Amino acid sequence: MILKKIEVNINGRDYCLDVEENLRLIDLLRDKLKLTGTKEGCGEGECGACTVIMGGKIVNSCLVLAFQADKSRIITIEGIEEDDVIKNSFIEEGAVQCGFCTPGMVLAAKSLLDKNLNPTEEEIREAISGNLCRCTGYNKIVSAVKKAAKLKRGGDGE
Amino acid sequence: MEAIKPKNLEEVLEYKSKYKGDAKIIAGGTDLIIKIRKGEENPKALIDISSLNELKGIRETLEYIEIGPATTFTEICECILLNKNLKGLKDAARSVGSPQIRNRGTVGGNICNASPAADTVPPLLALDSILVIEGKGKKREIYLKDFFKDKGRGELEGDEILTKIKFKNPLKNQGLGFYKLGLRKALAISRLSFAVFLEIDEMNRIEIVRIASGAIGKFPMRELEVEEYLTGRIINENTIEEAETLLERVIFERLKGRQTAKFKSIAAKGVFKKALLNALYLCKGVNDFEKN
Repeated sequence: MILKKIEVNINGRDYCLDVEENLRLIDLLRDKLKLTGTKEGCGEGECGACTVIMGGKIVNSCLVLAFQADKSRIITIEGIEEDDVIKNSFIEEGAVQCGFCTPGMVLAAKSLLDKNLNPTEEEIREAISGNLCRCTGYNKIVSAVKKAAKLKRGGDGE
Repeated sequence: MEAIKPKNLEEVLEYKSKYKGDAKIIAGGTDLIIKIRKGEENPKALIDISSLNELKGIRETLEYIEIGPATTFTEICECILLNKNLKGLKDAARSVGSPQIRNRGTVGGNICNASPAADTVPPLLALDSILVIEGKGKKREIYLKDFFKDKGRGELEGDEILTKIKFKNPLKNQGLGFYKLGLRKALAISRLSFAVFLEIDEMNRIEIVRIASGAIGKFPMRELEVEEYLTGRIINENTIEEAETLLERVIFERLKGRQTAKFKSIAAKGVFKKALLNALYLCKGVNDFEKN
């Protein structure tokens, strides 16, 4: 197996890694770096469980080859602070049930709120439209994102 | 499999000339990675162009709008160069997959994979786009409408790659409309789509009309018979209805023998009408604005 050298910044830390040429970004994260917060659902870009932020944009890490991520900046769920507003809003609003979709949902929400602190409900639903949840439904997730937006704007979230 | 990340287009063409068809170009990878994992594709080499600036972005020249093939759907949606008369192209890009897919998937991939359901192809066909195709030491242009050879196959030699997509920037009395029928909003593969490019004069006479359908035949294609019928006519409810009926007949003939023939030919009428009205609104909107 031929190895390819890549440099990548993940959650603020620089890595220099040798990767197999057909390795996917999700495998690099989960299997090599043990960043197992990123989940694999469908492996075909349909479910969004493997969502990470790459170069400021959400992508399905199952549809990126690790060598393509050379020289890029990546944020995974492990890069979200413990006291993060979005994370806490998800907990408070009951937006987490089995939790499998949650890392992807939180990152999709972060990607939206990084650009837009005053999203409409439609914009929130659009932002998470590539992330499937099979437990709670989407209402509580949407409420959580609304609450996080309000808190980030400086309101009390109610 | 060798993974190659060239520094510039010259290097890409060099590798393509070395490996020919054994090397696949990868950009967004949203289709190719799945195919490789399923064993449907087994290239000797992958040439990654996803971060090659030479092949990315949208530019305006004297005559044309030029789009790099590695431009993502998100970049098309957000591009301020594409004015409101090109709304149909942005609508099509916005209708692709999901935010994650739009952030990676590219317009060049949409064309080169030659999927019947490629969302941005009908608007590019209706714009009468030209493809610039290059190989080492060679360069040619081909109309997009002449590019598709079969389902999943475009006219590219093993050592060639698509380097540019270009079309004329619409005038004020021209507009591009799009409408897509999917099974649900996000992540739905296109079941049926239409793009209509329209130019009308002050009397509402159709000067130019180009109609392209998606997900109906083996690849997206122009609906020449309907174009011919509409050209030169005054646009009103009557002509639209006549055009719809003609379209239904054309599509039923094309799909004859398939289970979906009846559904698709009837549904096509409605989808076509919406795309046409979207185009008309863009043409008229500007006209009305100018009168004021």
